[in-house]
Amino acid sequence: MLSLDFLAGFTIFMLALIMVVSMVPGLLAGLESSGIDYDAVAYRTGVILVEDPGWPAYPPWELYGEAQKDEIQRMGLAVSKETPNILLSTKVERFFEKSPSGEPFFTPDDYRKRVIFGDIPYSYNFSLNISNPDGSYEPKQAGDPLPPGYGYIRRVVKIKEPGVAEIGSNVAYQTETPQNPQNFTVRLNFSDLLGPERGPAYRIDPRTEPVNVTITNFDAYLNKTEPAAESATLKDVTFWKMDPTRPNPRFTRIPFSYDTVNSNLYTLYVNGTSDLHSLQPDVPVKSSISLVLKPAATSLFTLDQNSILDIRFNFENDPPQTNITGTHLYDYVNVTHPPLKTAVLEVAIW
Amino acid sequence: MACMNEEGQWIVLMGLLVAVALFFLALIINQSALVGQTTAEGVLEFPKNDIRDLREAVFDYVKEFGDADNAVREDIIAISLERKNAVVSFTVNQKMDVSGHWLHPVEIHYNNGVTVYNETVYY
Amino acid sequence: MVNDAGQLYTMEGVAAGIIMLLTAYIVVSTTSVYTTGDTHIPDMQLEQLGSDVLAMMDTPDAEDTESDLKRYINADNAAGGSDQFRDTFLNYCNRTTSGAIDNLYMSANVTYREGDLIKERLFVEPPDDGSWTGRESAVRVTRWVQLPTGNPYGSRPQAVLVEVLLWRA
Repeated sequence: MLSLDFLAGFTIFMLALIMVVSMVPGLLAGLESSGIDYDAVAYRTGVILVEDPGWPAYPPWELYGEAQKDEIQRMGLAVSKETPNILLSTKVERFFEKSPSGEPFFTPDDYRKRVIFGDIPYSYNFSLNISNPDGSYEPKQAGDPLPPGYGYIRRVVKIKEPGVAEIGSNVAYQTETPQNPQNFTVRLNFSDLLGPERGPAYRIDPRTEPVNVTITNFDAYLNKTEPAAESATLKDVTFWKMDPTRPNPRFTRIPFSYDTVNSNLYTLYVNGTSDLHSLQPDVPVKSSISLVLKPAATSLFTLDQNSILDIRFNFENDPPQTNITGTHLYDYVNVTHPPLKTAVLEVAIW
Repeated sequence: MACMNEEGQWIVLMGLLVAVALFFLALIINQSALVGQTTAEGVLEFPKNDIRDLREAVFDYVKEFGDADNAVREDIIAISLERKNAVVSFTVNQKMDVSGHWLHPVEIHYNNGVTVYNETVYY
Repeated sequence: MVNDAGQLYTMEGVAAGIIMLLTAYIVVSTTSVYTTGDTHIPDMQLEQLGSDVLAMMDTPDAEDTESDLKRYINADNAAGGSDQFRDTFLNYCNRTTSGAIDNLYMSANVTYREGDLIKERLFVEPPDDGSWTGRESAVRVTRWVQLPTGNPYGSRPQAVLVEVLLWRA
């Protein structure tokens, strides 16, 4: 026989229980929600990528190969601390680099330790979409496919790309009395290039960006005196440096493995073919020479912000077959700098 | 309790333990929720983009007018106060030799009541 | 029939109910802090994106050239500056890496000084497709622009503040 009191008490108890149970799903909804701190981590990762040049700074982290990868502290893509949102193309390429077989250069562990940070092994997806001036897009991506409910940030950035010194036919570089050997020099004066008058976003910095020297129309420099030359032999390309702050400054030849082909350090193409040459090619040049000196090589030259670097093209023929001579300055007048490209960077963390 | 035997006390004890456990779980959820909140609020509250923008505006000013006085300075100060609720001032001094380059020393002050920013920079 | 023998049961029931209600209240109120935090995160993302877009529009693509932003503000409505400003701004901030287009909307005005008065002029109107209600949770991002002599806001060189309201539909 139930008493009335028990009934009243039990009713109140059941009412309260029902209320609590009805609140539980709402409680769990908060637990399942993704936004708890993924968004904060995504924001932080975005800031590191977009506003920080990374560490170490000199030589910059993007030059570190597979062997020294562990020495990279932080992978930031910005050109410098003063230029947030302006990314350096060489850093971007290294960050998203994949081997020809599709294997990324950086492992998930590298990304977690050097950009995302934090104790929890977060999953990530970085993607960048560069828009070229011709209207095409150049997407880059690293990480896993997106699950539902990830933390997210989107940043609008610009990409800085290296310039090219294109040397066409120019009477100033032609001599009337060619000798054997005949030399042509491209000179990089670091104190001019790195002066503070120019913002880091528009600076030519051979320490972080490849130096591209292209001689087109080489036929204009061929010896026209009879018998007219068909080609001239590029004996070698050498690097010379001078430090004007030292007493009695003079150019000294930089020791370098000139005879081995290494596309990580430089590429040398002759006559527009895709054959890689060493810096002692000893080949006949008819139409063009294209030399790209990568920052990995420049960092081996121990140059500072006052150094002068000469790239000397040496032609040897008897009788002389080219009349190219003189010194071409690799500076803001002669180097065509491509405009900054707009891009979107997205970071997703979960 | 009146009129009751005391054999079921362990049930009450377990109930209490469960309640305490629930309470602590709730506290933990509370903490993690606070992480998301404070980061977003911290980012919103700290005027990083405003200060960067002000610096660039001051550098533009120096590029254009050097250490000369111009009404543009009044523009920046008055509009900052009116629209950004920030007290701003900057001074540009005569060029001086800074390790081989002639640059203007520029002092920038910013205060929006929460964040104070002062900088001396050579431009 | 009614006596007071069960009064303790009743009180126990009431006490248990109150305790449970209290617990439920504490639990729910602690977790509900999360919802206030939640509203800040999209604001933070929008504000960062808007600041980025303005900063990038103010970055010239080549050294010693005029930035897009400055050109648009200086062109004003007459030369189509505000349309170009709106199109460029929305193009920058609606683009994603997957190619899908985000749905952000904006309006903009320019604040300038005339003597002792701070004046405001509408630069880009909110969209007139009926989606503008005035109740959007918009964020405000700003950027300084310095204009040369003979600009739309006065005859002297001026610093004006471009303010953009940005919201998600």
